[in-house]
Amino acid sequence: MMSPPSAEPPAPSTSSAGPPDDWTFRVDALTKRFATLAANDSITLRVEPGEVYGPLGPNGAGKSTLVKQTIGLLKPTSGRITLGRFDLVADPDAARQLCSYLPQVQMPIDSFHVVEAIELAGRIRGASARDVRGRTASLIDSLDLGEWKDALGHTLSGGVKRLVGFCMAIVRPGRLVILDEPTNDVDPLRRRLLWEEVRALGAHGCAVLLVTHNVLEAEKSVDRLAVIHKGRLVAEGTPSSMKAADRSQLRLQLMLTPGTATPALSPWAGPAVRVGHNLVTAIAEADASTAISWAAELTSAGVAEEYALGAMTLEDAYIRLTSHMSGDGDDDGDA
Amino acid sequence: MMPELQNASVIVPHGTVERGAKRWWHDYAVMVRWHLSSLRVWLVTLTIVQLLAGVGFVLGISLFFVHVPMTAALFVSTGVPVINLMTVGLILGPQLVADQKSNGSYEYLRSMPVSRSVTAAAWYTVCLIGGVPAMIVSLGVARLRYDLPLHVSPMIVPAVLLTSFAGTMLGYALGHAIGSPMATRLITQLLVFAIFGFAPILVPLSQMPRWLGTLNWWFPFRHMAVVTRAALTPGGHAAVLSAYVVLGLWAIACAGLAGRALGRRP
Repeated sequence: MMSPPSAEPPAPSTSSAGPPDDWTFRVDALTKRFATLAANDSITLRVEPGEVYGPLGPNGAGKSTLVKQTIGLLKPTSGRITLGRFDLVADPDAARQLCSYLPQVQMPIDSFHVVEAIELAGRIRGASARDVRGRTASLIDSLDLGEWKDALGHTLSGGVKRLVGFCMAIVRPGRLVILDEPTNDVDPLRRRLLWEEVRALGAHGCAVLLVTHNVLEAEKSVDRLAVIHKGRLVAEGTPSSMKAADRSQLRLQLMLTPGTATPALSPWAGPAVRVGHNLVTAIAEADASTAISWAAELTSAGVAEEYALGAMTLEDAYIRLTSHMSGDGDDDGDA
Repeated sequence: MMPELQNASVIVPHGTVERGAKRWWHDYAVMVRWHLSSLRVWLVTLTIVQLLAGVGFVLGISLFFVHVPMTAALFVSTGVPVINLMTVGLILGPQLVADQKSNGSYEYLRSMPVSRSVTAAAWYTVCLIGGVPAMIVSLGVARLRYDLPLHVSPMIVPAVLLTSFAGTMLGYALGHAIGSPMATRLITQLLVFAIFGFAPILVPLSQMPRWLGTLNWWFPFRHMAVVTRAALTPGGHAAVLSAYVVLGLWAIACAGLAGRALGRRP
């Protein structure tokens, strides 16, 4: 524990996963079991440098388990995780140095000044004082955090604290940057600024693992998505390709009048999902006029307050794949 | 639009795994700053509590006697440094870790790219910074109030270092190796009770039942008081060597336990 530093650095634990300049993040047949529960069940994926990759999934899907194994907090039951030539399972020290991590919970910065927290995080990641000072100033400027730069962490709102945590994670990014719900509590304007920084990470060669529930936001921000459900990777692809199966369909949404029962659906409607007063179903394009008449009748009869017909979204594809409804800002509680 | 980067060099992803002495000392210096900053809000309170505890115990003896016996004054005044040296590492340390586990920040701290030995060494340094000044003030007040025949030998250096180290590592093990934050808090409270009331730090061993004295031999607190008193008072002292050995073994065992817990990947 308190042994003096070793003068002879141990040889890095490497694998034959790739050449020295290859920084692809690879997960191969990863399985993690807790007693009889498979939190990750033979997951295989790869994220190229520069790519923003978004594992999506409902609570308990296994996203956090995947992240914790990547950064060396959990050990896989079987399978491999590599970043370039480094085997992250065999060498957790390498995992911690090569991966930057923004956890879903707030960073422990209540006693830190904002600039100090970001600079120290960069110094801990091995950057020089001069470099980290410049980069911190740049991030504070880019994310419009100037008015809080000298504030103590415990005085910050949840959204600002979240942004400071984001800066701490990326002030000196690893080859893999893991962001777990980075926009929680962040206002819409600064969300946009945050996404620009995420894109900048990709442009500078970082692989970004963006864990989120927020399907619609992920659609705009990621290069590729993976849907994880009950520990398994059930779909993977670009946002457009994920929606491809729904291209000949439209999305009919009814805002039901509070207190009314779910109306019986006509045969032309697909399976419906009701969340609160919202009833969403898929219909074929050919049935659009029929559906509009039906929805208008319900509105006239007072069953629904209004309705909307539009293109299928990624969220619809996600629901189809997982049979769950995702909500913005849900707590994860992920396995 | 791509945000403009004022300093392009630092955005280059960190692509090497650094090990060895140079990196260790860099990380150590930064982690000392991290720990000190993380205590900033509490630093003033902590200093006041440490001073109040130390000076309070020293001056409190006079409440028990019309004329304070020199033996009593010397015994309590040379026990107080042990309390000062242990407070941060043994009491505050595990409670901070319990808080981190409760609020979820523990995983972020475990994911920091520094070795376990760096984190432990930096925390030990902070515990020394938090304990030594209060110890010096307490001894100074005792010297002035009771005109004590203190004799500070060079052995005060290893005595202070080992006493603080053993206390810090015991606290480290309580914080990190016990899974439940509530259990950690309860055990820490129990330790405070045991140290002040039933360990021969402020209460002489001769006043204790024989079984309690024997029991105390197996715990580190008696030995902390033995090595510290031996370095502060003149004359020969029995059992100093064995006290150093027992303290050293406790420190190593606790450091090992904490290290295992920190490195554990379930």
